[in-house]
Amino acid sequence: MSWLKRLFSRRRIYGDLSEEIREHLEEKIEELVAGGMSRREATYAARREFGNVTLTEENSRLAWRWPLLENFLMDLRFALRMLVKNAGFTAVAATALALGIGADTAMYTIVNGALSWDLGLENRDRIVIVTSTNVTRSHDWGVSYPDFRDFRSQTKSLSGLAAYQMAPVNLSDHNALPERYFCVQMSANGFSVVGHKPLLGRDFIPEDERPGAPPVLILGYHVWRDRYASDPSIIGKTVRMDEVPRVVIGVMPPGRRFPEETDLWTPLISDASREKRDNRDLMLFGNLGDTGSLAATRSEITALAAGLVAQYPDTNKDITADVRPIMEITGLYFMKPLFFALFGAVGCVLLIACADVANMLLARAAHRSREISIRVAIGAGKVSIIRQLLVESVVLSIAGGFLGWLVALGGLRWFDSGLGTQVKPIWLHLSLDRGALLYLAAISIGTGILFGLAPALRLAKTDVHAALKDGGFGLVGSKFGLRLSNILVACQMALCVVLLAAAGLMIRSAVKVYSAPIGVNTANVLTMRLNLPEAKYAKSESWTAFHQNLSARLKALPGVELAGVASNLPLGGWVPFPFEFEGRTIDPAQPPEGGGLVVSNNYFQTMQVQPRRGRLFLDADGVAGPPVVVVNETFAAKFWPGEDALDKRFRILEDHLPGAWLSVVGVVPDILQNFRQHLQRDPLIYVPYAEKPDRQVFLVARTLVPPATLADAFRREVQRLDENLAVYEVRTLESRIAESRLTVSLFGAICSIFAVVATVLAAIGLYGVIAHAVSRRTQEIGLRMAIGASRRDIVRLVLAQGIRPLVPGLAVGLLLALAASRLLRVALVGVSPNDPATFVGIVIVLTSAVALGCIIPARRASRIDPLMALRHE
Amino acid sequence: MKSREQRDLFPGALEMMILRTLKRQPLHGYALAQHIKRTSNDLLQIEEGSLYPALQRLLKEGLVKADWGVSSTNRRVRTYKLTAKGARHLEHEVSRFEKMLEGITRVLAPGES
Repeated sequence: MSWLKRLFSRRRIYGDLSEEIREHLEEKIEELVAGGMSRREATYAARREFGNVTLTEENSRLAWRWPLLENFLMDLRFALRMLVKNAGFTAVAATALALGIGADTAMYTIVNGALSWDLGLENRDRIVIVTSTNVTRSHDWGVSYPDFRDFRSQTKSLSGLAAYQMAPVNLSDHNALPERYFCVQMSANGFSVVGHKPLLGRDFIPEDERPGAPPVLILGYHVWRDRYASDPSIIGKTVRMDEVPRVVIGVMPPGRRFPEETDLWTPLISDASREKRDNRDLMLFGNLGDTGSLAATRSEITALAAGLVAQYPDTNKDITADVRPIMEITGLYFMKPLFFALFGAVGCVLLIACADVANMLLARAAHRSREISIRVAIGAGKVSIIRQLLVESVVLSIAGGFLGWLVALGGLRWFDSGLGTQVKPIWLHLSLDRGALLYLAAISIGTGILFGLAPALRLAKTDVHAALKDGGFGLVGSKFGLRLSNILVACQMALCVVLLAAAGLMIRSAVKVYSAPIGVNTANVLTMRLNLPEAKYAKSESWTAFHQNLSARLKALPGVELAGVASNLPLGGWVPFPFEFEGRTIDPAQPPEGGGLVVSNNYFQTMQVQPRRGRLFLDADGVAGPPVVVVNETFAAKFWPGEDALDKRFRILEDHLPGAWLSVVGVVPDILQNFRQHLQRDPLIYVPYAEKPDRQVFLVARTLVPPATLADAFRREVQRLDENLAVYEVRTLESRIAESRLTVSLFGAICSIFAVVATVLAAIGLYGVIAHAVSRRTQEIGLRMAIGASRRDIVRLVLAQGIRPLVPGLAVGLLLALAASRLLRVALVGVSPNDPATFVGIVIVLTSAVALGCIIPARRASRIDPLMALRHE
Repeated sequence: MKSREQRDLFPGALEMMILRTLKRQPLHGYALAQHIKRTSNDLLQIEEGSLYPALQRLLKEGLVKADWGVSSTNRRVRTYKLTAKGARHLEHEVSRFEKMLEGITRVLAPGES
């Protein structure tokens, strides 16, 4: 601990040193006096011989110091003093930085959480998805069970291949109310392919997937914890899943929800329908193992698929297979460009804030050149001045970073509450973890150096003589300083244009989406989902009976006007149906395909839809008389262009077998159903429920009172009919629609906030530069006025200065924005990435911001009194 | 600002001379300065003050040690002594210096390549 002792004994060392030097001089003087000199002369001589006493002492002390650390501490003390002294400047700069750093950190948290989400896989880069596709119709990915079996037995490049299918199920037992979960039916090797092991109990074994095997079930950790209170004795107990008793054999560890957001797993058992080679509804995942490569696996699987085409031409004609990394299949891959766009946007905000602070520092540099000159004159080196100024800017940015931490916390909380009550995606990470704090610290220090470097380098160039002599600004070529400021402002404007473009496009999308009429009256509609378990409701008659019964009970509730069922809700997609039209020949392998909904006969009345042509469904439709169908306007226009669709006939092909002829009895206006493209008008048919009953439906009810107040009554009615049946998603139609539009509104809101902050920061930056330029040109302006310039000329002069960075800023910004808006494409609805209206809007907004930034300094300049200005020193 | 004299001495030269002087006998600062001046025949224009930073460095490195005492002229003085470590350091430095000097001399010698 000698260094510690030294630290405390330093005062004594310095004391010894001073005394020693004093004694030295004394001794010398005495000697000279003894030699015959006068005392005064001797003192001078002694000092002359000795040299600079103070410097010697200083240099001697240096031996005992840690120069780097101590200089740094001194710089730090000085920086803090300067920042406190200029409290106004500090507050504005730190706020600008806090906005930039805070938004950046919050976005980092979200993007990093999303992109590092690994689906609960340690080896996500080795896991692939195997798909099979009909080359003539490219939207199906499923694989049939027989094809899966052949792939699995013949593949050599995959170390394992498993199949799964996901389905919602009802789980009931005596522990809690019936609940709905996502269950994955998975081939018994599924967990071993991805390397997962159960926390309790056992994994599936091949015996579990034989037809006739006793039904078993593995629980997800959260189900075990929440529903069974983490009871370890659950293993071996029986629960009812969709009315079938199943023995719980295992519990998975926390965070293990592969392949999707799975709650429960059961073995995938083949049956007669799965044994059909053209029943392609399984997803396959495989492990490349330690040595396999994606390319080799892809060519192997493609070859196997080609072999199957030759072997089973009836079922496998045109069927090819492909292999892709699993990370490309998840929803996040689709969102990736959007994440990068947002991250880029927030980075722009930070850069704009940095440029602002840099400009403020540059302006202040002019006023500090005298201080710097004095420090240079008394011996400060260039390096130490730059170091001092950098310490100052880093201290400033750290203050900004601390405030930014608060901004990030607040922003994430705001985002969290903006998401509302709905279920958050599993990958959404909304808390600042250690990584985010490290990131915050890094960008705080980084921005400090970034915005501090240019002003520091400029100040270090201060011409000492000029600054001290004439009391002027003393900057070498002060025009250069102004040019640097102008370049910074132009960069800010360019970045601002990019953000405005993103915000403008998102806002236009949001406006288009929100202003598009859905086609139904969404107010006062309550909806819920039902899934009748197959074990208890085997026959379609029982489904019809249950749904009719329930609809009648709901309608009888006070406050309910009408109640019916539908296979899909508005913006909720549709069921694909292949068709055959009367009087037209079709290629049986490629029938025309369209979408359809199965609805109860009172659905249109419940949704308050009026027919355009013909009639709506009557009570008897689908029950008695010839089968009928209602189509939407797009369907009528697409398949019978220029003709009347009424009384035209077509039939649905199910498993290539034609159903009964359906005649069109009505044409209804388009109701928006596409859940991805919210403005898309798909050709759709509506089939009476009695014609195609289903176990899974949505219940819809038009109410006379606020619909949410009836939610509990609806649940009770379902429980009265079947106490083991799970009801879920009891929600108003309006909240469902709001949720499906969430992407547009949320991203729109985020982009808008960024754009507003960026524009304000850019305007402030411009204001600062112009105001500073005006204050420096006071004398010149006075002179101009004295020789006859009008106030209008002066305003024009100042505005010209503001316009100068605008033109290059706009030009570069528009080019960047055109490139960047492509990233946003996935989130845009009904708007082209180069939407002209948006880009015209940007030019107007930015020009107005420039005008606002210039107006105050311009007015100030035009009020300069020439006499005062000319005397002004 | 560095004085010309200091610039002309190579780094470590002053320290070497101090150590060499102290090897003969312990001295206090003033006496040390006078001794170096005298023995160098005033050829080296050393400011007396420049001794002290060098002494502090040597103290810190543990090459010399210092004690307060009273001189023969009844003055309070701080006497510096060479430590064992200092003696070793001096030997090493001197041999290094001699090698360097030999090298320089050979280059400067006329007629030889």
